Amino acid sequence: MAKSKKKSKQALVKKPTTPFVATPATTQSQSIFKSSPVYELLHYFEKAPDQWAARYIIVMSSIILKTAIGLGGFLGQGKPPMHGDFEAQRHWMELTIHLPVSEWYYFDLQYWGLDYPPLTAYHLYLLGKIGSFINPTWFALNSSRGIETNEVKFFMRFVSLLSELVLYVPAVLTLANMMGKRFNLNRMDQMIISVIIINQAHLALIDHGHFQFNSVMLGFFVYSLINLMRENYVLASIWFVSCINFKQMGLYYSTFIFVFILSQLKSFIHLIVIGLTVVLTSFVIVIPFLKDPKNLLQILIRVFPFNRGLFEDKVANFWCTANVVIKFREIIDASQLSKLALISTVGAIIPMNILLFFKCKKPQNVAPGLIYGFAGNALAFYLFSYQVHEKSILIPLLPSTLLILIKPELIDIVQWINNVGTFSLYPLLKKDGLILQYFVSNLLINWLIGPKLLFKNSGILWGLITKGSYLLMIVYHLLDWFLLPPARYPDLWVILNITISFGAFFVFWLWLNFKVYKL
Amino acid sequence: MSESVKRTRPKTAVDVTMPNVGERTYSLFNIWVVTLALKLLLVVSYHSTDFDVHRNWLAITKNLPVSKWYIENTSQWTLDYPPFFAYFEWVLAQFVPEVVKQDGCLALVEKGAYSLPTVYFQRLTVIVSEILLFVALQWYINSSDSQASKRRAYVAASSLALSPGLLVIDHIHFQYNGMMYGILVLAITCARLKRYLMCGFWFAVLLCFKHIYLYLAPAVFVFLLRAYCLNLEFDPKRKMVENLIYLVKWKNLSKLGALVVAIFAVAFGPFVYYGVMPQLLARLFPFSRGLTHAYWAPNIWAIYSFIDRLLIQVYQRVPLSQYPLQKIFKFDTSLLSNSKFINSSTRGLVGDIEFLILPTITPQLTFFLTLFYQIMALIPLFIQPNFRRFIGALTLCGYSSFLFGWHVHEKAILIVIFPISFLVCRDRRLLGPFNLLVSCAYISLFPLIFTPNEWLIKVTYTLLWYIIYYFNFRKVVRLPKDARESSYILDRVINTYILGLLPVLIVISLMDLLEGKFEILKKLEFLKLMIVSVYCGIGIISSWNGFNWLYFLHDDIWEDDSKESSN
Repeated sequence: MAKSKKKSKQALVKKPTTPFVATPATTQSQSIFKSSPVYELLHYFEKAPDQWAARYIIVMSSIILKTAIGLGGFLGQGKPPMHGDFEAQRHWMELTIHLPVSEWYYFDLQYWGLDYPPLTAYHLYLLGKIGSFINPTWFALNSSRGIETNEVKFFMRFVSLLSELVLYVPAVLTLANMMGKRFNLNRMDQMIISVIIINQAHLALIDHGHFQFNSVMLGFFVYSLINLMRENYVLASIWFVSCINFKQMGLYYSTFIFVFILSQLKSFIHLIVIGLTVVLTSFVIVIPFLKDPKNLLQILIRVFPFNRGLFEDKVANFWCTANVVIKFREIIDASQLSKLALISTVGAIIPMNILLFFKCKKPQNVAPGLIYGFAGNALAFYLFSYQVHEKSILIPLLPSTLLILIKPELIDIVQWINNVGTFSLYPLLKKDGLILQYFVSNLLINWLIGPKLLFKNSGILWGLITKGSYLLMIVYHLLDWFLLPPARYPDLWVILNITISFGAFFVFWLWLNFKVYKL
Repeated sequence: MSESVKRTRPKTAVDVTMPNVGERTYSLFNIWVVTLALKLLLVVSYHSTDFDVHRNWLAITKNLPVSKWYIENTSQWTLDYPPFFAYFEWVLAQFVPEVVKQDGCLALVEKGAYSLPTVYFQRLTVIVSEILLFVALQWYINSSDSQASKRRAYVAASSLALSPGLLVIDHIHFQYNGMMYGILVLAITCARLKRYLMCGFWFAVLLCFKHIYLYLAPAVFVFLLRAYCLNLEFDPKRKMVENLIYLVKWKNLSKLGALVVAIFAVAFGPFVYYGVMPQLLARLFPFSRGLTHAYWAPNIWAIYSFIDRLLIQVYQRVPLSQYPLQKIFKFDTSLLSNSKFINSSTRGLVGDIEFLILPTITPQLTFFLTLFYQIMALIPLFIQPNFRRFIGALTLCGYSSFLFGWHVHEKAILIVIFPISFLVCRDRRLLGPFNLLVSCAYISLFPLIFTPNEWLIKVTYTLLWYIIYYFNFRKVVRLPKDARESSYILDRVINTYILGLLPVLIVISLMDLLEGKFEILKKLEFLKLMIVSVYCGIGIISSWNGFNWLYFLHDDIWEDDSKESSN
């Protein structure tokens, strides 16, 4: 007895000297995921010596899941002459490896002209080089258009998975580890949360089913976030500039990162250093295009197509949903519309950013403030800005999902908004022929979390909102499955979908504002 | 009582009797749901011609009267499984929805013309029928007596439920092995619970589903005979004649006999009635196939063929080697100058010549070798008819049929993996042969799936399975009483050999990948298969040797728990 007491005393004395050594999982607070099936599956690797294995298991099982999703179709498969996003990405690989840099943004604009920023182009150039080494016919100039052999399909699927594994997955694991130490999450919870973040259905379906490289952009963003939390703003700016130079959609995060860094600055020199970093990084990225300044203008024209219209297809934002009642495009002309969109977006983000500017000055508010801020700002952009794609929902969804790293007990709300996000993508996925993949990946992630956590009691209001919207989604899927929409309104089901989604997104956005206010 | 058992039980790597572990329930349900998701996603993956085979069988059983089932031959995929499987297909055919019917699922045609609805339907039947395997494995876990043995059973059972072999063969390639092995697990569990009659019942049912399990029949036969029907304990008080009469437990024998006869009557009765038994038997046992399958299964004959190829090269390229080779093997040199023979890869059907330098192998020889090794395995079982010996004998029967059998498919390796998995937790020393077997066996299945899209799935899944179970088996196995017996050097050698599979895998994958670039690689198609078969073949033969060594020389592994606790 006495001996054990002595031992425990020693342990107590020792502890503060080694704050960064992860304490064994068993000594920390009980995991809230105890009831989840994912806990049952992973708990065999709970003990410290096995935890390395758990990491491999998480990564490998997500590879299997995403490859299996990739067995399905992609947008525009077998649909000449334009095909879809898959062909667009393949075509860009083809044109970047065959043409001089100066022609990249000019080449045959009618057939999938390049309209992503330079980093995407470099990324595709690299992958195209590798692909053409394996089989030159995959990316032969012009003659390879519309090629859809199993081999090229596999190559494209493989490199999108590889890009995710190189950037996004390590970023999420690092962030989970870092936040785990800060918010006293045990190792088990960190692993489970990583599983939940990495295997979210929307990103898996869009990147590996529909086919895009969003995970690269999101990976850059997560690294930027990690450095913001470590107060390394120079590195954070480099990552962030890379993020927006990979995909312009990354700009949804830009207002808040600006506000945040401004709130944290301690001296004017600091501001100049960061400003210089941003300018320098951007400069380095566009160096290959500098031969002729016209190129830069062309990039901007291609990347920001203001002549395209308020929204494309159907998207669950304010404009598209309100369009059911008010036909904006008939009342106001395009240039005024874009101004209106700009004003409403700015109006939507100002209150939150002012609040956060002051609240983030307190050190304990930094981490939650960052995540609420990014989620709220990006969602506001999605809801109110001009020319929004349905896929842009991935951008607010990532920081929203990261909320569970701060407060794991928010899992029901976080997973709910993720489900709504995936739901809002359903019409698109249906076009891709990914219905099976949609249902399976959605059910899998929700089942991994478990019904106990999904429907846990977070107050009557939230219970009503989540359960009500789940019910509406089920009704929608039943309608969509069994009934054809009336001939007069062929888009009726899609409109129903975006109305449900918009309602949920809007409620979530209000809640984020409220949370910021309460911070 | 339990106290004394605990004290004498050999130590395990982890103290499995910890109180917090004690309350755990071991359920396969979560594993089933996770793999269900994967299997559903795999519905749209590549499937082999076996898919059309089973589709054709659905059509045959649905459209034709029973008497015609084994005669019909519109398609080349004739019905060649025993009657219960045909009945099973008939049952499935009753559930075919209208949409799937219109898709051509039930059309009796030479080559199936079907699309996604048929694929969905048939894939779902595999997934649903596989539930039987999960139920059987769960029963195996639940029927373990102590918490520690439950945990061991859970590791073994989940390793089978998650088996990459089943994933690759059933859910990508397309077959119904999950259900069949479910029945085998039922038989094994009955044997463990000493319900011999039920064990006989399930095994007879299994035989009527798929006759490949005939290879395991000797072990089941000897086990049931010795444990259930014979009484070898001579009672000195009785007379000699009386003892001889009581040698056989007549009541048990007649019960078991009646049961087995009844099952076979249900299965084959209708066909006897219609007088189509000769055709049925000809379908079940086609001896017109070659020694090796199109892909060499990694067994003795793969090595034998490999040596033959090697000698041909030596004969043609090394000067002065022709005369001694000719003297030793006395082969027909004229065949070697015929390029047609040299280049054909399998030289499959009977009548063709499979080996140019080494002596030809006859079906009789393979049959004799298989039977010889099976009988060797049965002798210890006859002397010591307990559960562990039974499983050991099943494993060895599976091994000898796989290694020496005629026209063995690489898929048949599951017949070894299933029984041996129930044994490994028994003793640390069994881990070596087991690891060698599963790693080589699962890798040898890779050539079955040659489409690029499924490549990453099969590789990652197998690797993941191996990582999980390499460590989990090590955690739960019992250590031998005598610590000196654990041989680290042998373990190292085995692990090195297993790691050697990685370069093999990388080389053949690179050869696949760069095929479009270098024309020469297309010609080397057969070389890839040969590398896999030979490397895995050597591994599996070595694991067989290791297992034999333990089976025949280490009696302590095979004793019953009850005996142990009384010591």
